[in-house]
Amino acid sequence: MVPYETAAIPIANPPATSSSTTTTTTISKPPEIDGLLAGAGYKVRSSDLRHVAQRLERLETAMLNSPSQHLSLLASDAVLYNPSDLSTWVDSLLSELNQSQSLPSLPSDLSDLVSNPTALDGSWMDQQLPPPTAAIHNQQPSQLTVVEEDSGIRLVHMLMTCAEYVQRGELSLAGSLIQDMQSLLTRVNTGCGIGKVAGCFIDALSRRVFAAGGGGGIPGSAYETEILYHHFYEACPYLKFAHFTANQAILEAFDGHDCVHVVDFNLMHGLQWPALIQALALRPGGPPTLRLTGIGPPSPDGRDSLREIGLRLAELARSVNVRFAFRGVAASRLEDVKPWMLQVNPKEAVAVNSIMQLHKLLAGPGLDPAHRPAPIEAVLGWIRSLNPKIVTVVEHEADHNQPGFLDRFTESLYYYSTMFDSLDACALQPEKALAEMYIQREICNVVSCEGPARLERHEPLARWRERLGRAGFRPLHLGSNAFKQASMLLTLFSAEGYCVEENEGCLTLGWHSRPLIAASAWHALPETAAVSPDVAVVGGAVM
Amino acid sequence: MARSNEVSINESKQMVVPLNTWVLISNFKLAYNLLRRPDGTFNRHLAEFLDRKVPANANPIDGVFSFDVIVDRATNLLCRIYRPSDTDEPPNVADLEKPVKSESSSTVPVIVFFHGGSFAHSSANSAIYDTLCRRLVGLCRAVVVSVNYRRAPEHRYPCAYDDGWTVLNWVKSRAWLESTDSKVHIFLAGDSSGGNIAHHVALKAAESESGIEVLGNILLNPMFGGELRTESEKRLDGKYFVSVQDRDWYWRAFLPDGADRDHPACNPFGPKAASLEGVKFPKSLVVVAGLDLVQDWQMAYVEGLKKAGQQVKDLYLEKATIGFYLLPNNAHFHTVMDEIKKFVSSNC
Repeated sequence: MVPYETAAIPIANPPATSSSTTTTTTISKPPEIDGLLAGAGYKVRSSDLRHVAQRLERLETAMLNSPSQHLSLLASDAVLYNPSDLSTWVDSLLSELNQSQSLPSLPSDLSDLVSNPTALDGSWMDQQLPPPTAAIHNQQPSQLTVVEEDSGIRLVHMLMTCAEYVQRGELSLAGSLIQDMQSLLTRVNTGCGIGKVAGCFIDALSRRVFAAGGGGGIPGSAYETEILYHHFYEACPYLKFAHFTANQAILEAFDGHDCVHVVDFNLMHGLQWPALIQALALRPGGPPTLRLTGIGPPSPDGRDSLREIGLRLAELARSVNVRFAFRGVAASRLEDVKPWMLQVNPKEAVAVNSIMQLHKLLAGPGLDPAHRPAPIEAVLGWIRSLNPKIVTVVEHEADHNQPGFLDRFTESLYYYSTMFDSLDACALQPEKALAEMYIQREICNVVSCEGPARLERHEPLARWRERLGRAGFRPLHLGSNAFKQASMLLTLFSAEGYCVEENEGCLTLGWHSRPLIAASAWHALPETAAVSPDVAVVGGAVM
Repeated sequence: MARSNEVSINESKQMVVPLNTWVLISNFKLAYNLLRRPDGTFNRHLAEFLDRKVPANANPIDGVFSFDVIVDRATNLLCRIYRPSDTDEPPNVADLEKPVKSESSSTVPVIVFFHGGSFAHSSANSAIYDTLCRRLVGLCRAVVVSVNYRRAPEHRYPCAYDDGWTVLNWVKSRAWLESTDSKVHIFLAGDSSGGNIAHHVALKAAESESGIEVLGNILLNPMFGGELRTESEKRLDGKYFVSVQDRDWYWRAFLPDGADRDHPACNPFGPKAASLEGVKFPKSLVVVAGLDLVQDWQMAYVEGLKKAGQQVKDLYLEKATIGFYLLPNNAHFHTVMDEIKKFVSSNC
């Protein structure tokens, strides 16, 4: 079969007209870091080079003196962090080698769960996905015709031109171009690939250009949102990765604590929590008392959906003998939540869990005449006041909050076409169609909404690092064990092409080398500690 | 070992390579030791965790932008394409595959690059190889296509060669890569295992009736071997980052089960290989580092090409170690870059 490309939009970090560079390098390095090694992905101060070299020699000697079985075991079981920070990396390897003369024991809790799917009650792990070949061959044309390929490229050209018109305020030109694109769409396969993506973006543009009152997203009830969310959860691994990685970090942070409290910024159906409850149940030494506070929008029709979820989770906890209490906090916006609503007890170990929620706080007004802090700062401030053991944050790895419309449009075109591509490869119907609708709503919000209505203000990891650093949080690095578990999770999906990457203590999940979501973990320094901006840069060394 | 001895051994090794290069390659060496298991399996999760990667970037950085393309969905074969840019203006998303002839009236070389890693390590998006490919773009005013081939031990011979062959065909059939004469001007290049792959893909192109013409092969410290233990292997074993034992491990991981190192993939001019005489094989530039223990096999490769009537230039760098081309901090680096530039421009 002749090799082909399915999407006209290749995978890359998109062009941006601003001078800021790639998502990985927006933090400028201090001048004394060796520039050539930085280019190779390693951060070493020039003044430290000799010291690092000596440690490497010592490490080599230590490795030569270890039996090779021991080394392999070390490689499999030791939890290693942040390989970019060479100095710390070499020292941690040295101490691992020196410490363990006997075989180290496997951290078994979560790995047992991964290899025994039946241990998880009602969770996604029970699903067996059929082999991908049938699905892929049915969905994709065996070869794009020349006409289709040309039309695909033309559509992309037209989309970019249209976005430019919109940026310049030339709405009538944009409008007529939209009509041209809609007719060109009829000649392209909108079931997959470029046709599908173009269709979404043309729709979003048309809502922006033609909607009365300027701009409008796709209306929908909270209930509909939940359904779409659930299908997005099932159809592709992004949310599962988010939950899995956050749970791993939370589990480790709760080690040794008997009273623990998780605050979930967006409970939805509570899909994240059965796995954590199970893992806590199996903890050596016995489970802690677990409190879960779930935040979610108020239910419109008199149901108390938060409470319903809480009851189900309580059932599960009871079945595995974990003492459990649930509290629901109904709020339409995260900034409406006040810390006293969470009733955090100073003796508990607190974990704050935010999966794709923080970016919505960036929609608040920039300048407040009363000089109140911006919503994001207010919320980060009260999170800090809870003194959490860990704050788990998962966000889209994209810059969809740029002030210029064209930049935003271009970035989201790249981002969502990669995401659609990944969906094409692995999802089954009907999950896939509804998952696509979920994504389509996001696209609409990014493209056709403005002001407080534009909630999907995704920002890349580098910028979240800066924000959280300024707010007094320090990174807790996710290590090689979390990486390995996440990679193993992905092998449960028959579609190869997803990849987990380590990025200075954070993990990203992407499709074919383009990271799409980023997971990170944080803790707060005690309130009295001075917050110094440059301390945030080299994560490992600070701790 | 006494403290002072330790320091002087350190110093003498480091005088051969700059300190930061020494740190970089030693770190690789030790990390790789952790990844190879004695039973022949490979700790892939840890390898991917440790590998420092960079995303593709359609914003031109120093005149080069990049983007990734899926060439074959069935095997998830990805390539990273690097193109020169004259402006700081990022290309429009639809212009990533703008025809090269619209930007240049002279011929545009297309270099298909195979990264090193002894068939098991690294990827097209590894930071060190992303950097190297970007350099080649600027140096040769070329489009570089870096192949993310399948690696050992999960994918043995001939997977990497097959992937190279797939990409070669793909490159040949891209209208946007044609120069003004309506032909794609193709070079193959690679370091370490990538050099080995370049040879075998060129061979396949020559032997098949494909009509694909490869204008030149650029092999940097190519990975070859054989059953015999050569003098350089014995003399340099373990001295400069590489050992015979690790070379053996990688061959066992790549070659088919039961094969020995005289398999033609490993030893293309050995007792089991077919002759290259009369084969329309491309001109080759072979760079050999004088402190690489594999150099006798590399020089044998050069001799083999010559004896078969093929055109080859070898560049022997006496004091160079493996990986000298990764950082631009030594004279060998610049020598090699100049040679590559001359080779591409004179054969394009």
